[in-house]
Amino acid sequence: MAVQTVQNNKVAELDIFRPSRSLGAEAWSRLIRNKAAVTGLIIITIFTFIAIFASVIAPENPLQINAGKRFLPPPFFKGSTNIKSESQFLLGTDSLGRDVLSRVIYGARISMVVGFIPTFIILMMGTFIGMIAGYVGGRLDNILMRLTDVIYAFPDLLFFIIVMVALRESFIGRLMNGLILLFAALAIVNWVGVARLIRGQVLSLKEKEFVEAARCIGATDFRIMFRHILPNSLGPLIVSAAFSIPGLIITEAILGYLGVGLRPSTNPADIFITSWGVLMLDGQSAINAQPFLLLSPAICVALVVLAFTFLGDGLRDALDPRMRGTQ
Amino acid sequence: MRKLFALLSLLVVASMALAACGGTTTGTQAPGATAAPVATEPGAVRENTLRINLGTYPDIIDPQVSSFVGEIAHLKLFYEGLTKFNDKLETVPGSAESWEYNADATELTFVLRDGLVYSDGAPLNAQRFAYSLTRNMNPATAGEYSSITDEIVGASEWRGADTAAADYDEAAFTAALGIKASHSDGADCVVNADSGNSYDDADCNTLTLSLRKPAPYFHTIMGIWVAFPAKEESITTGGEVWWTSPVFQVGNGPFIWTVGEPFVRGKFSPNENYWGPKPTYDLEYRYITDSAVAFEAYKNGELDIVPSAAEDLGTIEADPALTAQHMQYPGACTILIKFGLAAKYTAPDGSTYDSPFLDKKVREAFALAFDAEGWTVDVDGKLSSPTWTWIPPGFPGYNPKSPLYYNVDDAKAALAASSYGGPDALNALGLKLTFGDSPRNRQRSEWLVAKYKENLGVDIALDPVEATTFTNITKDPATFPLLARQGWCADYPDQQNWLSVYWKSDTSFANRQGYVNLDFDALIAKADVELDAAKRADYYDQAQQLLLADIPSAFGYNSLNHYLVQPWVKGIVTTPQDSDWPGSFSVETITIDTLMP
Amino acid sequence: MVTYFIRRLFWLFPVLLTVSLVTFIIMRSAPGGPWDTDSERRQVDASTTKSLNAYYGLDKPLWRQFTAYVFGDTNDVSHKFVCGMVCGNLGPSYRQRGRSVQNILFEAPPQQTFWQSRFGYSLRLGVAALAFAIIFGIPIGMMAALKQNTAWDYFGLFIATSGISVPSFVLAIFLIIIFGSWLHWIDIIVDNWIELKYWIMPATVLGFGTMAFTARLTRSAMLEVLRQDYVRTARSKGVAEQFVVLRHMLKNALIPIVTILGPALAGLVTGSFIIETMFSFPGMGRAYVQAISQRDYSMIMGTTVVYALLVAVANLSVDLVYVFIDPRIRLEE
Repeated sequence: MAVQTVQNNKVAELDIFRPSRSLGAEAWSRLIRNKAAVTGLIIITIFTFIAIFASVIAPENPLQINAGKRFLPPPFFKGSTNIKSESQFLLGTDSLGRDVLSRVIYGARISMVVGFIPTFIILMMGTFIGMIAGYVGGRLDNILMRLTDVIYAFPDLLFFIIVMVALRESFIGRLMNGLILLFAALAIVNWVGVARLIRGQVLSLKEKEFVEAARCIGATDFRIMFRHILPNSLGPLIVSAAFSIPGLIITEAILGYLGVGLRPSTNPADIFITSWGVLMLDGQSAINAQPFLLLSPAICVALVVLAFTFLGDGLRDALDPRMRGTQ
Repeated sequence: MRKLFALLSLLVVASMALAACGGTTTGTQAPGATAAPVATEPGAVRENTLRINLGTYPDIIDPQVSSFVGEIAHLKLFYEGLTKFNDKLETVPGSAESWEYNADATELTFVLRDGLVYSDGAPLNAQRFAYSLTRNMNPATAGEYSSITDEIVGASEWRGADTAAADYDEAAFTAALGIKASHSDGADCVVNADSGNSYDDADCNTLTLSLRKPAPYFHTIMGIWVAFPAKEESITTGGEVWWTSPVFQVGNGPFIWTVGEPFVRGKFSPNENYWGPKPTYDLEYRYITDSAVAFEAYKNGELDIVPSAAEDLGTIEADPALTAQHMQYPGACTILIKFGLAAKYTAPDGSTYDSPFLDKKVREAFALAFDAEGWTVDVDGKLSSPTWTWIPPGFPGYNPKSPLYYNVDDAKAALAASSYGGPDALNALGLKLTFGDSPRNRQRSEWLVAKYKENLGVDIALDPVEATTFTNITKDPATFPLLARQGWCADYPDQQNWLSVYWKSDTSFANRQGYVNLDFDALIAKADVELDAAKRADYYDQAQQLLLADIPSAFGYNSLNHYLVQPWVKGIVTTPQDSDWPGSFSVETITIDTLMP
Repeated sequence: MVTYFIRRLFWLFPVLLTVSLVTFIIMRSAPGGPWDTDSERRQVDASTTKSLNAYYGLDKPLWRQFTAYVFGDTNDVSHKFVCGMVCGNLGPSYRQRGRSVQNILFEAPPQQTFWQSRFGYSLRLGVAALAFAIIFGIPIGMMAALKQNTAWDYFGLFIATSGISVPSFVLAIFLIIIFGSWLHWIDIIVDNWIELKYWIMPATVLGFGTMAFTARLTRSAMLEVLRQDYVRTARSKGVAEQFVVLRHMLKNALIPIVTILGPALAGLVTGSFIIETMFSFPGMGRAYVQAISQRDYSMIMGTTVVYALLVAVANLSVDLVYVFIDPRIRLEE
C-alpha cells in the first residue's frame, strides 16, 4: 500500500513540475491503438460523409412520388403483400411510392445534426456548470442547484412540445426549418442532467487523495477542476453522451408524430428533407406492408449509437490519467 | 451495504405489490339495472359479445356537451332521440311515435310512444325531453353543439345572456323558450307536489316546439345526440362528474352501460326496457388508438370490428380471408381544397397581396388540376372516393352532376386565361399550403404540392402548423390560409346541414373563408323555409349547382368507411353516417354466430 | 443535516411557483384556445365561447388568471372564493367538463382505490419499470465490467445499444408481434390491469431504455472503481473476491447511478405517452400530451406541477441516499 501511494504522488509531482507530452497527443496515440474505437470512428466518419454528400449518393430523388407504387417491398424480400418489387428501389418504397434508400440517406442529415450538435452544447454547458457547482460548493452550488431543480422539474417532452407549439410560427421557429428552435429547446432542458451527474462526481472526487495532494502542492482550483477531476469523471459523461444522441434522434421523431416536428421540404435541393425518426414513425404503422421502412432507419440509428459507444469507451480509456504511459 | 440492499429489495417488492394491488373490482358496475349479460349458448366457442375497437377514449359522455364521434358512439347506445335514422338515412320515429308541423312550419309537435320507460323502469314522458332541450340551451351548460337548437324560440337569446350580470334572471329566459310538454289534448302536465316536477305524469306525452322561422328539417335535428333525454335526477345526484359513471347514465336506448373501465373497456348489455327490437348480444368497446396494434389483435381474433388502415391494405389484399372480411361503404364527409379569399397574404419580398383566387380562372385552374382519382389511389390507398360535387353519395340531395372534372390541359388553359397569365406570376407570390401537422397530413400535403407542380407548374410551399393552431387560424377570415385542405361531415342527413350550415355567407364556414354568393344565399333562404319536400329538394339542388359553378374550392373526395369485420358477425346494415363502427344505426339486426369456429 | 433537508423542502415552493409561471407564459403564448376544436366540425359559436370564458375566468387579465390559478380568486358566476393550487386545487379541466384536474389525475372511478387513478397507474408502471431496469441493468453492467472484453461484455453492449437506439414505439410493436401474434404467449388486448402478466410488456418497454442506461453506467463506474487504489489494496490484502466486488466496488460505483435513478423514476411515472397509447394504458402521460393540443390550460398546469413536485421529491431522496451510501459526502448545514 505504501509503495503504491508513493508512486502516485510521484506521478502527481511529475505532472505538475515537469511539462510532459501533452495530454491530447498521448491520448490520441492511445486511442488509435484501440481497435473498437477506431471502428467506431470509421463508422461515424462514413455516416458523416453520407450526410454531407447525400445528394450525390442517393440513387433517386427522395421526394419523387411514384404513382401506384406505394409500399413496394425490396427486391430481396417477400413481404406479406402481393405487391411486386422493382429492382430500381433497393429498399422498396414508402406510402407515397418514394424510394426508401434515398430517404434514409437524406435522413442521415437531420438525424446526425440533431443527435450531435445539441449533445455537444449539452455536454459543454452541463460539465461547466456541474463542475463549478460541485467544486466551489456553498452558496453558488445552492443557487445553481436550485436553478437545475426548476429546469429539471419540467417534464422534458411536455416542455419541447409546448415550446414548439408556442414558438413555431415565430421568427426563431422558422429559422432553418425549425432546427434552431429545436436545438435551443433540447439544450435548455438536457444540460441539467449532465450538470447533476458531474456535480455528483465532483462531490465524491474532491475528497479523494489525489485532489488533496494536488491542493497541498498549490495547484490552482481551475487546474484541479479541469486537469484532475474532469478526466476522472469522463466515464459517466461519455455514457450519458452516448445515450443523448439516440435520445435526441428519437425525440425529434416523437415531436414529428405530435405534429410539432421540423418543417418538411418540397425542394430536392434543400439540405434537410427528412429524418430517420420520421421514417421510423412512418414505418411503425406500415410494419406489415413494408418492414424495411422501419428496419433501415432503425439499423442506422443503432449503428451510430454503437459506433459512438465504441468511440466513447476508447476515449475514456485514452483520457484516463491512470492509464498514462501504459500500452 | 446491507442497508443498500435492503433499500433495493424493498423497492422491488414494493413495485410488485403495487402492480398487483388495486383491489378486485374492475370498473364501475351499474347496480339495480335490469340488464343481465346475455347468456352464452351451450357448445359455443365464443362469447356472445361484439368487441369493437373504438379508438380514442372519450373525454366527455354527456349528451348536451359531447361532440366527438367516439363520445357519440357511447351516447347513442344508451340513449335515443325523438327521431332516428334508418338504413337509407331517412328520418323515422324514435321515441316519438309521430310528429307534425303546423301550416307554416313554425311549430313542431311530437307525440311520444306509449309506455316509454328508462332502463331503470322510471317513466319517460315529454317533460324529460323538454328538460334536455332546455339544458342544451342553458348558457351554464355551454355545450359545443348548443347552437344547433337555435331555431327554437328564445334559445339564442338565453345562450347569449350574461350569466354573471346582476339582473340575470334564469326563470324569465326558460319561461320564454318555445318548448312545451303537455297532454295530447293540450292540457298542462300534472306537477307532482313532492318532487316539484311532472316526470311521473304518464299522460304527458306531447312535446311542442315553437320555431322562430319555418324549419321543415327540424325533426331530423331531434334525432341527434343533443336531444337525448339525460335524466335530471342523475345529473343532480351525480354532480358535475355524473357522466363519468354508468350508474348515472340511465337512458332509453337499446343498451345499458354496465361496466366502464377508462381506457380499457366499456361494456354494454341489452336494455330489457327498450321499446323496440332488442339486441341479442352484449357489446364491448375497446380503446386502442394504435392502428398497427389493433390490426395484430384483430388477426389474433381478439377483436370483432376494427377500422382498417391504408398501410395494411396490401396485407389485407394478399390474404383472401382478410379481403372477404374487409367492408367498405361510403362515408359522411366531403373534403375540399379550400381557397382563402378574404385575407391579405404576404409575398417573400414582404409585400402584401390580395388572394389570387379572387380571380375565378385561377380557382378553375386549381380545381381542374386536382387529380381526385390519383389522390384516392396514391394517398388513401383506395380508402376514399373521388367526387366532383358537394353532398356525398347516400345523403339526401346527392347529385353527381357537376361542371368540374380533372383535366390538366383545361386547367393549364384556365390559368393562362387568368389575369396572372400562367404559373410564373403566381410563383412570385410565394403560395403556401397550410395544414395541421401530423405524419399523415404531411404525406397528403406533399402529394398535393407535388401534383400542382406537375400539373400547373406552380410552386407551393408546405406550411405545417400545429393542429390546434390550424383550427385557430382557419376560424378568422383575416388569417385564413391561402390553400388549406378542410372538410365537412354531416351532423344529420338533410341538405340544410350541407348547404345552409356550410356555404351561406352569414354562416361561420363561408364567412371564414371569405366566400360570398348572394344568388346562392337567396336560393338557400327560399329552400330552408319551403314546406313542399319536392320543391325544397329542387331549390337545394339548384343552389348546389350554383355553388359548384362558382368553384369556391377544389372538390375533392369523399371519405369511405372501411372496417375489418370477423366472419361470425352477421347482419350488419350500414349507412354512410356509421363513421364510428358499421351497423351502429341498426344494432338490432346484428347477430353473432357463437358456434362458428 | 435535518435543517438542510427542511430548507430544501421550503425551497420547493419557489421552485413550483417558477415552474408554474414559466409554463403559464409559454402555454398562453401558443396560438389557439381551449374552444378551438377540430376544424372539420361545427365550431363552438360566439355566445357559447363567451359563457365558457366567463365561467372559467378566461376573460380576465392574464396576470389575474395566473394568480387565480395559483392562489385563488372569486368566481364571477357563483360569487364564491375558489382557492387555487396552494390549496391543492389544480383547476377545472376545460375538455372533460365538470371534472377537476385533481379528480382526473388522482381519483379512481367509484368503488376503486387510489391505485386505479391515472396517477396511481402511472406510479405503479413507473416503479415496475424502474425495478426492471435495476434488476437487469446493474447485474448486466457488473458482469460486463468484471469480464471486460469477453462475450459477457459484448452481450451487455448489445443490450445497451438496442435499449437506447430502438425507440419505444418500435420495441412495443415488435414485442406485440412476437409474443402476441407469433407465440401467442400473451393477449394483445389487455383484459384487465389486475393480473400481473399484462404489466410485463409495458413495464419492459418503458424500463428498457433506463435499464440500458443503468447497465452502461454501472459498467463504466465499475471499471472506474476497479482501477482505484483501495480496490487494488483490498485485493492485494487477500480479501475475498465477492467481498471486494460488493463492499468496495459496487458501493462506490452506485453513486453516479443513484444520481440518475431519482429523476428516472419521475420520468418513468409520467411515462411515455407512446407506451400508454400502444398498450392502452390508463396513465397520465397521455393526459398531458392531449391537454396541450386541446389547450386545456389547467390540465397542462396541473400535470406540470404534479410532475415538478415528483422530480423535486425524487431529487431530494437522491441527496438523502447520497449521504446514506457515501459517508464522505458532507452536506453543508
